[in-house]
Amino acid sequence: MAQTDGLTPPREAPGQPRVSKLVLLGSGSVGKSSLVLRYVKDDFKSVLPTVGCAFFTKVVDLGASSLKLEIWDTAGQEKYHSVCHLYFRGANAALLVYDITRKDSFHKAQQWLADLEKELHPGEGVVMLVGNKTDLGEQREVTFQEGKEFAESNKLLFMETSAKLNLQVSEVFSTVAQELLQREARQSHSAQGEAAVVLNASPAPQAKCCAR
Amino acid sequence: MSLKSERRGIHVDQSELLCKKGCGYYGNPAWQGFCSKCWREEYHRARQKQIQEDWELAERLQREEEEAFASSQSSQGAPSLTFSKFEEKKTNEKTRKVTTVKKFFSASSRVGSKKEIQEAKAPSPSINRQTSIETDRVSKEFIEFLKTFHKTGQEIYKQTKVFLEGMHYKRDLSIEEQSECTQDFYQNVAERMQTRGKVPPERVEKIMDQIEKYIMTRLYKHVFCPETTDDEKKDLAIQKRIRALHWVTPQMLCVPVNEEIPEVSDMVVKAITDIIEMDSKRVPRDKLACITRCSKHIFNAIKVTKREPASADDFLPTLIYIVLKGNPPRLQSNIQYITRFCNPSRLMTGEDGYYFTNLCCAVAFIEKLDAQSLNLSQEDFDRYMSGQTSPRKQEPEGWSPDACLGVKQMYKNLDLLSQLNERQERIMNEAKKLEKDLIDWTDGIAKEVQDIVEKYPLEIKPQSQPLAAIDSENVENDKLPPPLQPQVYAG
Repeated sequence: MAQTDGLTPPREAPGQPRVSKLVLLGSGSVGKSSLVLRYVKDDFKSVLPTVGCAFFTKVVDLGASSLKLEIWDTAGQEKYHSVCHLYFRGANAALLVYDITRKDSFHKAQQWLADLEKELHPGEGVVMLVGNKTDLGEQREVTFQEGKEFAESNKLLFMETSAKLNLQVSEVFSTVAQELLQREARQSHSAQGEAAVVLNASPAPQAKCCAR
Repeated sequence: MSLKSERRGIHVDQSELLCKKGCGYYGNPAWQGFCSKCWREEYHRARQKQIQEDWELAERLQREEEEAFASSQSSQGAPSLTFSKFEEKKTNEKTRKVTTVKKFFSASSRVGSKKEIQEAKAPSPSINRQTSIETDRVSKEFIEFLKTFHKTGQEIYKQTKVFLEGMHYKRDLSIEEQSECTQDFYQNVAERMQTRGKVPPERVEKIMDQIEKYIMTRLYKHVFCPETTDDEKKDLAIQKRIRALHWVTPQMLCVPVNEEIPEVSDMVVKAITDIIEMDSKRVPRDKLACITRCSKHIFNAIKVTKREPASADDFLPTLIYIVLKGNPPRLQSNIQYITRFCNPSRLMTGEDGYYFTNLCCAVAFIEKLDAQSLNLSQEDFDRYMSGQTSPRKQEPEGWSPDACLGVKQMYKNLDLLSQLNERQERIMNEAKKLEKDLIDWTDGIAKEVQDIVEKYPLEIKPQSQPLAAIDSENVENDKLPPPLQPQVYAG
C-alpha cells in the first residue's frame, strides 16, 4: 500500500467509533486465543464469529466515547516468527502475551517486542505486556516484579491475567482502549503527534492480580 | 535541385519562382520548386515507386528464404511427417512476417505523412477505445449506480473520468508511482464526498467500492503484473518453489485437518478452488473476497476436524498447506496488485485485511521454509527437495493417507473389488459343491433304488390258478348238475 501511515486508519466518520487494530503476540499455548475468546465471549453484546477464532471485532464502551477494537490473533509457533512482522503493519496496539509458568515464553515476548519496535515507531501504538495463567501461581517462573520491571524499562503497559478464571481479562482490553483514546486526544491537542509521548505503566489496574 | 536552392538567395528570377513543371503557377522551394498541385502529384508518384520497390524487395527476400529452406529440406533427405509439419509452421510464420511488412507499407500509402503514421502506431489516446465486454458492463453498472446519487454521482463520475485520463498519461511512470496516484485518488474522492457532498459514511464505503471496481477493471490490463517490474519473475519463482515442495505432508506442517473425513476433504477442495479463483478476478476487492472465502472454508475444515473453533495457531499452517496444494497462479502478482491498488483501509483493517495478511505470511513462510520449519533433518530436507526420494515411499503402508483423494478412492475401490472377488469365488465354490451334492444325491437315490430293486426283484408270477371271480363266467358250471328246473305238478 502506498506508504500510508500505519497509525491512522483512513477515513474516519465522526459518528462511528474509531477502529483500532490490536495484534495479539506471544509464543504458542500461552493463551492468546483463550484470552481474547474469554473477553469476547463474556460480553453478550458481541456476536461470536461463526467460524474461527482468529479475527474479532468488539466495540469497547468507555463512557463518553467508544472504540472499535479489531483483534488480530497471530500464529505463535516458533517457525512462524520470522513472517509475523507482516501482521504488525498498521497496528495501533499490541498485546505481548506470555505464560507466567514458562520463562521461555517471557523471553519470547521480549523478542516480539524487538520485532515490533522495528515496525512501529517509538511512541506509536500502545503495547501491553500480559502475563497470563495466574491461576497456576504455584508453578510460576516469572515473578510479577520481573514482568513489571521489564515493562517499565520499555515503557509498556503491564498486567497479569487469568483467562481461565476470567481475572483482569476485560481490564486488559479496556486499558488498552483507554490508552488509545487518550493518545488520540493528546495528538489532536498538539499539532503533530510527538514521539516523546511517554507511556508509564499505569499502576492502578495491576493492584488486584498480584495478591499471590 | 540543391543547386537551385543555393542560387535562390542570390538571384531571383521570375521563371525561378514559377512551378518547375511549367503549369504557370508559382512554385515553392519547400515543395522542391513545384506548385502545390504538381508537388502532390510528383510526390505521390515517387512514393508509389518507392512502395513498389519495397514490395519487390520484400517478395524477393521471401522467395530467397523459401528457396533456402527448400534446399536445406532436400539436403536432409526425406523429411518425416512431423518434420514437414514443423516446416509448414515455419513457413507460415515467415509469411506472417511478410504480411506484417506488407501491412506496414499499405498503411503508409494510405495515410499521407510520416507524422500520421506515428500517430496511427501510437496507442489510442482515448481510453474508451479499448473496451471489452466486461469493461462495458462495469461502466454501465457504475453509471447506473451513480445515477442514484444525482449531483454527487455526476461529480464522482467526472472525477473518475479525469483520473482515468490522467492515469493514461502516467503509464510510463513506475508502478509504485501509479499506485500512489490511485491511493491518493481514493483518499481525495472519499474526503470530498464526506466534506462537500455530506454523504453518510456507510454510503461512502459503498460508493468507494463501486469506484474501485470501475477504475480497476479499466486499469487492470496495464497495472497487473506490469512489464516494468519483476512480478512475473517472482511468480515463476514461487511457483517453482511450491512445485519443489510437493512432498510436504500435512503432518510436517502440523495441519489440524483430517482429510479422511469426507466433509473436511470437501472443504479443503473448496478452499483450494477459491484461492485459485482469485487470479481470475480483476478488482482487488473481488480478489480479497476469494481469499476470505478460502479462509472460511479452512476454518470450517479445522472446526470439523478438531470439534472446536480454530485459532490463529491452527489457521496459518492450514493456509500454508492449502497454498502448497493449490499452487495458485500468479500468486506474487496478485499480492502485489492488491497491495498496490486496493483501497488501503481494506488491507490494514477488517476481516479481508486479516486474511490477506495471513496469505502474505503464508507466502513469506513458503519462501523461507527450511528443514527446521518442517521438523526434518537437513539431509532429509535436501533429499526431498532434490527429488531423490519422497517421504511417501518410506511409509510401510500400501498407500499414503495423504495421497490424492482419487487415488485413495481407487485403492478403496480396489480393495472392495478384491473382497467381492473373493466372495464371488467362494460363492462359485459353494455353488459347485451344491451342484455336486445334488448330483451325488440323485445318484445315491438312484443307486439305492437300484439296490432295493435288485434285492427285491419284482417277480411276476404266471397266473397259475386264477381265482374265479364271483361274477366271472363260471367255468366249472359245466361240471355242476344243471340247475333245478321248477316243475309244475298237477295236483
